[in-house]
Amino acid sequence: MDKISIPIGPHHPLLKEPLSMRIDIAGERVLGGTLRMGYVHRGIEKMTAQRTYVQDVHLIERICGICSHVHTTTFCLGVEKLLGIDVPPRAQYIRALMCELERVHSHLLWLGILSKHVGLETVFMHTWHDRELALDIMEGISGGRVSHAANQIGGVRFDLSPEQEVMVKENIGKLKAQVSGVLGVIENEPALRARTQGVAPVSADLIRDYCVVGPVARASGVDVDLRRDDPWPPYDQLDVNVITRPEGDAWARTLIRALETRESLRLCEVLLRQMPEGPVTVRAPRKVPEGEVVTRSEAPRGEVLYYLRSDGSDKPARLKVRTPTLAVLSLLPEQLSKIHVADIPVVLAGIDLCIACADR
Amino acid sequence: MFRGLFYLLIFPGLAFQVVCGLIFEWIDRKLLARFQRRIGPPWYQPVADLIKLFSKEDLVPLGSYDLVEVLLPLISLSAVLTAGLYIPIARFTPFSFEGDLIVIQFLMSVPTLAYYLAGIASVGIYSILGGGRSLLQYFSYEVPLLITISGPAVMAGSWSVAEISRSQLTMGPFIIFQPLGFILAVVGLIGKLKRDPLDIPSASSEVVGGSLTEFSGAKLGFWYLVMNVQAVVGIFLLVNLYMGWSNLTFPFAAILVFLVEFLLMVLILSTTSAVFARLRIDQLAGLGWRILVPLALTQLGFVILMGV
Repeated sequence: MDKISIPIGPHHPLLKEPLSMRIDIAGERVLGGTLRMGYVHRGIEKMTAQRTYVQDVHLIERICGICSHVHTTTFCLGVEKLLGIDVPPRAQYIRALMCELERVHSHLLWLGILSKHVGLETVFMHTWHDRELALDIMEGISGGRVSHAANQIGGVRFDLSPEQEVMVKENIGKLKAQVSGVLGVIENEPALRARTQGVAPVSADLIRDYCVVGPVARASGVDVDLRRDDPWPPYDQLDVNVITRPEGDAWARTLIRALETRESLRLCEVLLRQMPEGPVTVRAPRKVPEGEVVTRSEAPRGEVLYYLRSDGSDKPARLKVRTPTLAVLSLLPEQLSKIHVADIPVVLAGIDLCIACADR
Repeated sequence: MFRGLFYLLIFPGLAFQVVCGLIFEWIDRKLLARFQRRIGPPWYQPVADLIKLFSKEDLVPLGSYDLVEVLLPLISLSAVLTAGLYIPIARFTPFSFEGDLIVIQFLMSVPTLAYYLAGIASVGIYSILGGGRSLLQYFSYEVPLLITISGPAVMAGSWSVAEISRSQLTMGPFIIFQPLGFILAVVGLIGKLKRDPLDIPSASSEVVGGSLTEFSGAKLGFWYLVMNVQAVVGIFLLVNLYMGWSNLTFPFAAILVFLVEFLLMVLILSTTSAVFARLRIDQLAGLGWRILVPLALTQLGFVILMGV
């Protein structure tokens, strides 16, 4: 059969964010593909150098529309390290609670998108309905569904009232029931398994070669999770179960994310139980002493790394962000061969792209 | 002559089938929405969609065969409407003749072939992919479907749908004798209608809009109408072939029974589209030839043995 090349993106029903691929196919077989990105580059790293640290927190929140909180957390951790201030324990716990809720809503969103791509729109509707519960919690405690503006340098901007704690606990209880239902579908639904099992498996060696992180790495049996390996407070006081699967195919990635959602909900409950009393913020000076610092944390999609250099003024001299999506994207051309055209959505969805994160 | 025109244009022809198609679309969308925890559209939504599409600008991509693109949906619509004329609606059938089952099968295949041609005629890459897929799908479901629906014909000893339907008056509804055949026929019908989970030729995440990617305006509206009328005609056919209860009852009750059977079929189609993930084209071909064809032959063999 003749080789033809089909464009996927920058605008395509498959993509929620602009990314461009040209995929060579022969009939229903995929021969290979090339990738082009940079459509949502906004120059955020440069923009941070023109604003003060206080303003930068809000700018950095706009890097990603899904994992916005973990970006500001990582940035604040770095600035606080340079300033040498200790964040009150209650603030650390609230930060971690938001991180875990964000993971829950990010993973549920992803599960929905995958099921929509394999033609299982019912699961998409149900997971997005459940995801609203997580968004409701975050809106209830921070006032924002997606951009929470929770972090500030030196702590968090709001406290958790007893009524809010009750609301959070209630919604987490509901979410747990829903997530176990979704898990049942993923484990037992034969058509979903037929579409995902054995599709584009990736070996653990390849994962290490490409420095792939997050759920994709864990689905190939690579046991990495910064919440356990390099914990930032309060994760050093928590017992995080890292979930791995040996298969490395699309089904393992699906299962991993559902299991991680359950684990995150458990962590949320632990965090609420152990939440210490006290203030939620300390006063931080506007000018940051000279120096450089690297901070890392575990976003829903894997390790996010911030490099920050300060020249002693109230504006950062250089900020460099490395997001997990970029590492995972490099794996994409490897996966786009020996698959069917119908598997392209599964492969693309399986790596859980966040183009806005990768382009910045 | 007026009677003939009435049959063609009002009942059981154009107007009746188009209205049934729109009602089918609404019930289907509403049921699917309720399965998905949504509210679903109001009853006039299919009509509103159609009016909107018909009033939209018609874009013709450069290099495509304009006349072919206009003719294809019209030919498909007339083919399925004609097929509908031969199918008894609650026993009422003005044009029935011996062998109309074969004619119906032929006419019902026209939209699939037109869909393929529409993909080739409009030059888009996704259209060509979708068109090719629709033909592959056609080869997977059509053979088991043809074998399956010859089951009722063999049992009744006639190739006329009206005759098959009437023979269930004495023999009992065929769904009792051929439950496997009924299931296979439903699978075949889903494949024919390109509905979820067999919406492979028009899977949006894979081939955007399939053959209809480059269609817009009134032409797209006609295509949607074709899909809905085809669904209604297919449902009417299966109801007559397998659920002859409307022949067992009093004349007025027949209409009610027919309606209930129609709604039951819509429920079956909506449920399958809600709970199953889309198959891959190679999985469908495997399903068609490795599973459906042997099962259909087994069912047909049983029917023949029962007759002997």
